[in-house]
Amino acid sequence: MEIVGINQISPDQVILWSWGFITINVTILYTWLVMTILVVTSLLVTRKLSTDINVSRWQHFLEVVIATIRGEIKEMAKKGSDKYIPLIGTLFLFICLSNVLVIVPGFVAPTSSITTTAALALCVFIAVPFYGISANGLLHYLKEYFQPNFIFFPFHVMGELARTLALTVRLFGNIMSHEKVIGILLSVTPLLFPVIMQALGLLIGIIQAYIFAILSMVYIASATSAHEEGHKHEEVKDAEFSEVTS
Amino acid sequence: MHIDWFVLFCQIFNFLLLVYLLKRFLYGRILNAMDEREAKIAARFSEAKEIKAKATEAADLYDKKNQLLAEKSEQMLNEASLAAEARRKELMEKVREEVDAIKTRWQTMLAREKDAFFQDLRGRAAKEIYATARKALTDLGNADLEAQIVEEFIRRVRGLDTAKSKEIRKAITGGGNKVVVQSAFDIATDTQSKIEQALKQQITNGFTIRYMTQPDVVSGIELRVNGHKIAWSLNEYLETLVENLTETIQREAHSA
Repeated sequence: MEIVGINQISPDQVILWSWGFITINVTILYTWLVMTILVVTSLLVTRKLSTDINVSRWQHFLEVVIATIRGEIKEMAKKGSDKYIPLIGTLFLFICLSNVLVIVPGFVAPTSSITTTAALALCVFIAVPFYGISANGLLHYLKEYFQPNFIFFPFHVMGELARTLALTVRLFGNIMSHEKVIGILLSVTPLLFPVIMQALGLLIGIIQAYIFAILSMVYIASATSAHEEGHKHEEVKDAEFSEVTS
Repeated sequence: MHIDWFVLFCQIFNFLLLVYLLKRFLYGRILNAMDEREAKIAARFSEAKEIKAKATEAADLYDKKNQLLAEKSEQMLNEASLAAEARRKELMEKVREEVDAIKTRWQTMLAREKDAFFQDLRGRAAKEIYATARKALTDLGNADLEAQIVEEFIRRVRGLDTAKSKEIRKAITGGGNKVVVQSAFDIATDTQSKIEQALKQQITNGFTIRYMTQPDVVSGIELRVNGHKIAWSLNEYLETLVENLTETIQREAHSA
């Protein structure tokens, strides 16, 4: 079952319905599918949550996933880690499920579209200053762009843009290229080899989800912890100064 | 490769919507459940720790009580042993006393029986000896035993030394000049005059003699006056006989 042709680089090109500038393509359709699966599963599992020791298997599975995400976030953001869980967790779950569902015939991963990856990267691009400013204040956040001095401002801006682009392209490139490789292999060696590649694809998909989520957290953590470190430096300087004066 | 801006914004919206929905239906609920469970477990742990502490305390208390109880029991056992020992000694003493009393009673009874037996023996022996002696004397020399006894009595009266005679004389005077002669047999009148004559010659004149027949005076005759006595009877021989007999019986009893 081939929905996206081998010559079509992105599922965005497969348009299902269009009216004016409003376009519904395969990417949006499968995004909604992934969203529905995630939301419906969450609703079904969390409908009867147990706070006792006896827990259902699904609840246990989701608890393990969320506890792992929470643990990873906690390692980077020392305090207030729970507020990053919705963004980072959703990034991981959405990308992971999209990539894993590739194994289902006829499914096209939304993450193989550069539009989706760009949208996710843009969300991170906005989230970084959002969390940075909410943690440190606008002035302190902006001050970081002029560290160690104002000459570095353009480099900081370029860095921000570059890493957003890197996030976009890395995920898109990995997933898209893998889908194309599978497509090509299917036409060349249709038996066992594509199965191995599919398994490899699952691994790559999960790793990519992990990388995307972790990198996003790293960016957010660096933006929020800058202020704390700055504060610590100032406190140390104040202490030294008071020692000298006394 | 171009980017459709509508799709881009649509995807951003979709993602933000997903973030919101998952935050509401997944993370919030799961994290709450986890935190609640952790709190419950922590509460249970602290409760368990508290219960454990209480249990340890109770166990310590129990051990202490047990120890006290054991000590008390040992003490009570010791006291009971001492009391039992004292009681045993007391009972033993009582039994010993009772045995001694029984023994004494028995010995007394035995002595009484012995005395009665010898008394009886003495009586019978006296009668037998008296009869035998009378018969022997009659058969051999046509002699009268009673006369021989009186003869012996008169001989004893005449054989009194001066001091003894003086004492008896004084006694006769102090006793109202009355003399009693007791004998186991009747004394003939001529024999009475012989006795009277002997007494008057040896001791004094001026007193009256009264003769009394008494079977207690075992085959003999005696003169009693105010605490003084001149007598002859078989008693002396009988005493020797009883002594010899007692010795023989005891020897026989020991050898048995």
